[in-house]
This record gives sequence, structure tokens and C-alpha cells, in this order.
Amino acid sequence: MLGFLLIVLLIPYLIAAYALLLVKLKWGLKQFGALIVAIIGLLTAMFFVEAYPIIERDGLAVFLEVRWDPVRESYGVLQALTGTILTSAVAIALAMPMALGVAVTINEILPARLRGIFGSLVDLTATMPTVIFGLWGLFVLGPFLQDAVNFVSRSLVGDDVMTSPYTLFTAGVLLAIMITPYAAAVIREGYALVPKPVEEAIYAMGATKFEAALIKLRYARNYILGGFFLALGRAMGETVAVAMVVGGNFSRFTTNIFESGITISSLIALQFPNAAAYQYMVPALFAGALLLTLFGLAINAVAIYIIQRGQI
Amino acid sequence: MTAKSHDRVQVVDAERQLINWLGLGLFAFLGVVAVVPLFLIISDVYIKGIDAINSLGGLWVFLTELPPTPYDESGGIGPMLVGTLYMTALGALLGIAVGFPLGVYIGEMRKEKFANVARAGVNVLVEFPTIVVGLFVYAVMSLAKEDLNRYMLGPLSNAISSLGEWTPRFIGPLDNVISLLGEWIPWFIGPLDGFNAYAGAVALTLIMIPYVALITASAYASVEQPLREAAYATAGREFNALFVVLRKAVSRAVLTAALLGTAKIAGETAPLLFTAFGNFYYAPFTGPTGAVPLWIWYAAQTPYDVQIVSAYGAAAVLLTIILTIFIIARIRG
Repeated sequence: MLGFLLIVLLIPYLIAAYALLLVKLKWGLKQFGALIVAIIGLLTAMFFVEAYPIIERDGLAVFLEVRWDPVRESYGVLQALTGTILTSAVAIALAMPMALGVAVTINEILPARLRGIFGSLVDLTATMPTVIFGLWGLFVLGPFLQDAVNFVSRSLVGDDVMTSPYTLFTAGVLLAIMITPYAAAVIREGYALVPKPVEEAIYAMGATKFEAALIKLRYARNYILGGFFLALGRAMGETVAVAMVVGGNFSRFTTNIFESGITISSLIALQFPNAAAYQYMVPALFAGALLLTLFGLAINAVAIYIIQRGQI
Repeated sequence: MTAKSHDRVQVVDAERQLINWLGLGLFAFLGVVAVVPLFLIISDVYIKGIDAINSLGGLWVFLTELPPTPYDESGGIGPMLVGTLYMTALGALLGIAVGFPLGVYIGEMRKEKFANVARAGVNVLVEFPTIVVGLFVYAVMSLAKEDLNRYMLGPLSNAISSLGEWTPRFIGPLDNVISLLGEWIPWFIGPLDGFNAYAGAVALTLIMIPYVALITASAYASVEQPLREAAYATAGREFNALFVVLRKAVSRAVLTAALLGTAKIAGETAPLLFTAFGNFYYAPFTGPTGAVPLWIWYAAQTPYDVQIVSAYGAAAVLLTIILTIFIIARIRG
């Protein structure tokens, strides 16, 4: 009944908000702001409610144990949690240098005419459907990375370290390509905000272009940190592309990035279709979603705080 | 300046020049590495995708036919394309309808405390994992579905069908039109399944709202103060000032936002997984509905060559849609 009321009341609410726009603009606009805040609150509350059965049964063990055995109705998502952290770490380590490179290339190196085009290409990377990244990762990047990593490891260790093309490492590399534009957008914004007098002072000191770029990056460090956290949030939440290349290893705990693994979001995507057949799997997956939501809220709060502190 | 120190200055300068070139080269290399995959992906999708469309029976067959089963040699993405277009259009319209006023609020009323709360909310929502949004809509849908059907949609569809029976008595010659309508209405309105196109569209809306809102907000925030005062002075009412006069000043940015947001949601997969669910047949939008990204996700992971090939064809179609919207947005914006 509650859900019914929620949906049925939403339509009159929106109509009323539009009507209020004509009567008293400020009140009407406020309704839209309230709507968005309500959605986020409702979303978090909803996941708490849906995940409650398994949290009541197992307590926090569901987040701290390595198990995924639907037949015995025992669930733990620690392996997915470490998978999320490992893929995000690989992705961030590769993406941040690339994002810095993009920001400097656009603002310092390229002639003014090409800047717009290069910027558009970076934006297009952000707009590309994630499932197409996944398709490419599945048939091109995964096999290529396996060959490349094994070629290196054979000369170093004398053995193949990557036995499957679909591993946490593959997912991390693919994620790095996908999140670079998001980090780059924030860093570019900060880079462009370096005041003209500061820039002139840098060059007046006789700095080379590279030295100037380093000083300006230091000036925009709040934005770099903010971009870091925003990209981290994207990397943790990305689903489809990761699920296609991560290997789908649901139950085994691994910290070796060259093995197949699982992340929280890909666990949800891959296991949800058959979750209804088990009593506690849906709550377990909602517990995973709750974890993702809380991570997302925390990371975004930090990122917004850092960027806003830089603005004031 | 002695000759010796002059030499040293030159050595130091040469060193700095070298570091300068090496450093800039490194940055440029990293920047280029970030966009190279884009070209690799686009060329990979188009090379394999065009072959795939030709081998599966040509463009028209591919755009209209049902997807190939593992034993077929031809097939297409007809139902998925219809589903994607329908859900994207609905999602984009709703997203603009809510996102635009929201953007005006957080862009224009920056001094209000609650506007800052709303801005933080929008910033959180734009970064939210898309699968979480899908799960949320799924959870709401599964709570509301039964009552919604019992109290609203069931009676509504009964009323519509009885209307179809009664009207011919009053307007005889329009019989055919009415019965045609009667055939088509159940495709759009009726009791909902747990998975349906409208849930998918709502999930896409939730992803679209913050995109539109943030770009609208920054466009309104960048309007210069004299222009704003002039708008308030000429418009008479605050509503007219913001939505009629100033709209002209920001329409470009808002149009770009709408187009880019549409391109973004047209390619989304994760929010549709548990809301639209996917369907291989032409089916009413009140039940599970197919979408091109969902078909790519499903077909790429099957072991059957013909379906993998069709996934590449579907990717080429999807990429064409998104590139078209993106290029229009760049040229207009």
C-alpha cells in the first residue's frame, strides 16, 4: 500500500509543483529540490528495509565473511568488497596520471584550435555506453592484456601469471579508461581557474612551460583531489563493463589481481536474475547495494567538501 | 658576468629545456593514451558491426527482425530498438521536465540554505552507481505493483476496453478507427508486470535529472548580473524573468545538456537490468521490454557465434545513435 501511495501521489505532486511555479516561483522551485532530496533519502531507507532480513540473521557477518553458497543459504560479500577495492585501486592508479595528462595537454600543449576537438573526444569517452566498453573488453582488451602480461611475466618470472583473459586486472584497466574523463573534467575545471596574474607571475619568473604546468597543478590540488574521489566513486559503482570482464568468480577470496574475481556491483548484476529462487539471496544482494550506496554517499561527501573548500 | 658562470647558466638552461620537453612529452603522451582507446573501440565496433549487419541479412532486416536464436542465420534487433527508443524518449522528457526547474532552483537561489542541500543531493545522484538506481526502482515497483494494478490500472484498462465495445453504437462509421485504437491501447496502458518499460523509463529519468539539472544550474549561474536585472525589470513576474526572458540566454547550454543526457541514457544498461529486464519479441510495454544495450549485454556472453555477431551489429547501431546525438549537441552547443 505504501508503494502504491508513493507512486500515485508522485503525479499530483509534480503537477502541484508546476502550478506553484506560477503562483509563487520560489515555493514551486523548492518542491523540485525537495523531491531530489526525498529520492536519495528514500533510496537509502529502501535498501535498509530490503537488506534487513539478512542483517538480522547474520549481523555484520554478511559484510565480513567470504561465502557465496546459495544452496546452503549462506552469503558473505567480503570477496566482492576486496574485488571492488582492488579493481578501483588499479583503475585509479592508471586513470589519475592520464587525467592529469589530459588537463595539461588541453590547456598547455595543444594549439587553441585543437583544444575543443580534443576536449570533445574526452567527453565522448564519458558518453560512450558502458556496455560497448564491456564488449570491447570481452573480445579485444582481455585477450590482449593476457598476452601482454604473460609476455612480461615470462621474461621476469618465467611463468604465465594471467591464466584467463578475464581478471580483476582486466576490469581495472577497462575502468581506468572509463573513469579518466570524469577525473579530467574536474581537474580541467580547476586548472582553468588559476588566476591570470598568478599565471603571468609564473612566466615572469622565467619558468618553462612544464614548470608552469606543475605549479598550476599544485594550485589546483583541491580539484585534483576532488577528481580523484569522484573517479573513485565511478570506479566502485560501475557495473556492466566490469561484470563482463571480471571473470565472475563468486565464492573464492583472492587478492591476486591477475585472477578472476568479482565486485559488488557485478555480483548484483550477475546473481540477481536467479536470486528470487532463494530465500535470503535478495536481501544479501540488497545488502551489497546498501554498501555501495553508503560508499557512494561517503565518497561524494568528501569530494564535494574538498572542491567547495577550494572554491571559498 | 664571467665566462665560466655564463657557461653554467647555459648548461642549466639546456637541462631545464630538456626536462621541459621530456615533461611536456610525458603529459602529452598520457593525454593521448586516454583517448586512443576511444578510436580503438569505435573502429572495432564499426568494422565488426558492419560485417555483422551484412551477414545477418542487411540493414533493414537487422533493424526490424527478431533477434537470432542460436540456430538462425539471420535476425535483427527490432524489438530492442523499439524498446530503447520508447524508454529513452520517455526518460528524456521526464528528465528534462524535472531536471530543468531543479537546475533553475540550484542555479538561481544559491543564497537559500535548502538550495545548497538540493545541490549536494544532485551532486550525489549524478555520481550514484547506476545499478543502485535500477535496484531502487525495482524495489519500489515490486512494492507498488499489486495495489497499482488492483486499484488503478485494472479498472482503467477495463474502462478502456468497454469504451471500445460501446462507442461503435454511437459513431458507426468510425468503427475501424476505434477498433484499431482498441488494439493499440493495450500495448501502452494496462496492468503492469513486475518488469516493464515504464519502470525502465523511470530509472533512466533518475539518471537524466542530475545531468540536466547541473548543466542548467551552471548556465543560470553564469548569467551576468546586469542581464539578470534587465530580465527582472522587463518581465514583470519572477516566473517570466527566469523562464521566458533568461531562457533565451541559457537555451543553448540547456539544449546541449538535454541532448548529452539523452545520449547518456540511451546507452545505459545497468538501470534497465531489473526494471525493463529485456525481451526478444515485440511485446506490450506493460511487460518486460527489450533494449539494445540489454541485448548486447546478453548476446555477448552467450557461447553462440551468431548471437555474438548480432551483439556487434547492435553495438554499431547503438553507437551510431549516440554519435549522432553527440555531434548534434556539439554543433548546436
